[in-house]
Amino acid sequence: MTGDSPPRPAERFDEVFDVYFAEIHRYAAKRLGPDAAADIAAQTFLEAFRQRGRYDPERANVRTWLYGIATKVIGRHQRAETRALRAGARLGPGRNFEEHTDRVDSRVSAEGLRGELAWAIAALPRGQRDVLLLVALADFSHDEVAAALGISYGTVGSRLNRARTTLRKALGGTNPMLTLEEQHG
Amino acid sequence: MDEVRMVRDSYPEPAPPTAREIAQAKALLNEPPRRSPSRLRWGLGGVLAAAAAATAAITLVGGNTVVGGNTPGGGKAVAQPGTVNLDARGAILAAAEKAEQQPIGKYWYIDQIDGQSYIMRPKTGTYAITGAHSEMFSWWGAKSGMGEGHYGRDLPAHPLTAQDAALWRKDGSPSSFRVWSGDHYYTYTARAQKWQMDGPERGTDPRGGGGGFVGAPGMSVKDLQNLPADPAKLAERFLSDEALAKRVDPSGRSAGRREGLRLPPSVKISMAGALAMDPVPPKVRAGLMRALADQPGIHAIGRDSDPLDREGVALASDDRATTVTGEYGGPKAERGTYRSRAVIVFDERTGAVLSVQEELTKPGGPYSEMKPGFVINYIAYRSAGWTDAKPKPQAELPFS
Repeated sequence: MTGDSPPRPAERFDEVFDVYFAEIHRYAAKRLGPDAAADIAAQTFLEAFRQRGRYDPERANVRTWLYGIATKVIGRHQRAETRALRAGARLGPGRNFEEHTDRVDSRVSAEGLRGELAWAIAALPRGQRDVLLLVALADFSHDEVAAALGISYGTVGSRLNRARTTLRKALGGTNPMLTLEEQHG
Repeated sequence: MDEVRMVRDSYPEPAPPTAREIAQAKALLNEPPRRSPSRLRWGLGGVLAAAAAATAAITLVGGNTVVGGNTPGGGKAVAQPGTVNLDARGAILAAAEKAEQQPIGKYWYIDQIDGQSYIMRPKTGTYAITGAHSEMFSWWGAKSGMGEGHYGRDLPAHPLTAQDAALWRKDGSPSSFRVWSGDHYYTYTARAQKWQMDGPERGTDPRGGGGGFVGAPGMSVKDLQNLPADPAKLAERFLSDEALAKRVDPSGRSAGRREGLRLPPSVKISMAGALAMDPVPPKVRAGLMRALADQPGIHAIGRDSDPLDREGVALASDDRATTVTGEYGGPKAERGTYRSRAVIVFDERTGAVLSVQEELTKPGGPYSEMKPGFVINYIAYRSAGWTDAKPKPQAELPFS
């Protein structure tokens, strides 16, 4: 008899896998590159499968839970991530980038921004980087980040603020791109 | 606009995972170490003679069972099978719609079996066995605080069908089976295991009950009882892409951003199957079956039988190809392409799901010596229903 941790039949795991594998793979690919993505995603689902008895639907939805596990798995490859970021190889313009550069001061080249930004992200403490990337890449709300990482709502906010401040400084403080965007709302 | 968006836009869109990466990741989950029930892998067939007697051992005084055939207690709601129209899918559950409403008991229970087929290739002739075979018994109090319990046990590996059993005897009736399992060899044995209360998804919770059913997150018994019987409404609520997005992300915050979230027909089948085995009224079961039959990529296939040798009416997904490569080594005989489909078999008398199984449609690869209809894996519902006595799993094995 185990009264302490209520067992919950998790959602059937095959369904969870079918629904979320591509998304978790995408998150891993963005953070660690295409080569490591398959391994990270597979590892995430393996750990999720093993821990599914501990999954608590009251605390987080399945997606949040999976991102939390994926983030921890990625954390074990932290050096690979910072190496990749510093190499600047994987950070490139997103699909909206052309549009931005057109409107942005020519002093900020795509290459320059990419390099600076990548370096700045790489330099962030892991906790801040995890929060920033869950918000930026997984569209997580503060609540979801808190649930995924097992930290308080307040901690999410402070880490995100610190990360943003660091990035802003790294990009020159008065990054013309930011200024322009802020002006135009 | 802020740094967050800049970061988001700076990360290029990566290529999606390849089919091989997906298959490899999934194979990891299917390895024996998971050894746990409540999965969608199963396969079997078999001798059911003992099953009817076996289920009689379960104590279900005054219980109403929804799974027919070998159900204990003789559920009151079970009507005699009437004439079945094999052609019109609409007629598929006409009987179920007329089924009497079952009075709610104190406890709802589900006894399910899952298995995966593996191929043995001795010189005396190729045959299939069921391995990764387990049974899970779960019960929930009708109301929160009435408790819930989940038991699991591994079942002995055994030949899949009577024909397989004949070839197994020719092979010397081995009690262990070394088979290729995706990316490694594994030996399944005919050893039985006692019901386990420890481990993932197992144990009892005296404070539980009243909800937390598989396939119905966040829904109470009352919610389930009040579901509409209208197929369109059920489909919209449980089988639409929007419903999936909602389930994936209840807050709805980012649902619109994650495009391409599409439910494959096979997943719809298993989701509807799980929901139908929750304490919903018979009319809702009938509605779910109709809703499923109306989904693109799913069609009625007439009568079919499940691995427990029970007959019912079935729906199937369009078939799709699976190719087994030699990248993880393994016998050459396991390689190649086969086609299969997801099948859900219903008891037309009650609308209960008998099984959800993956059936071979075009032999090839590991199943090149098997015939269409061969069950690759399955989940079969041995019984399910309301009871007033606290449910206990039966000791008798389903196949013996």
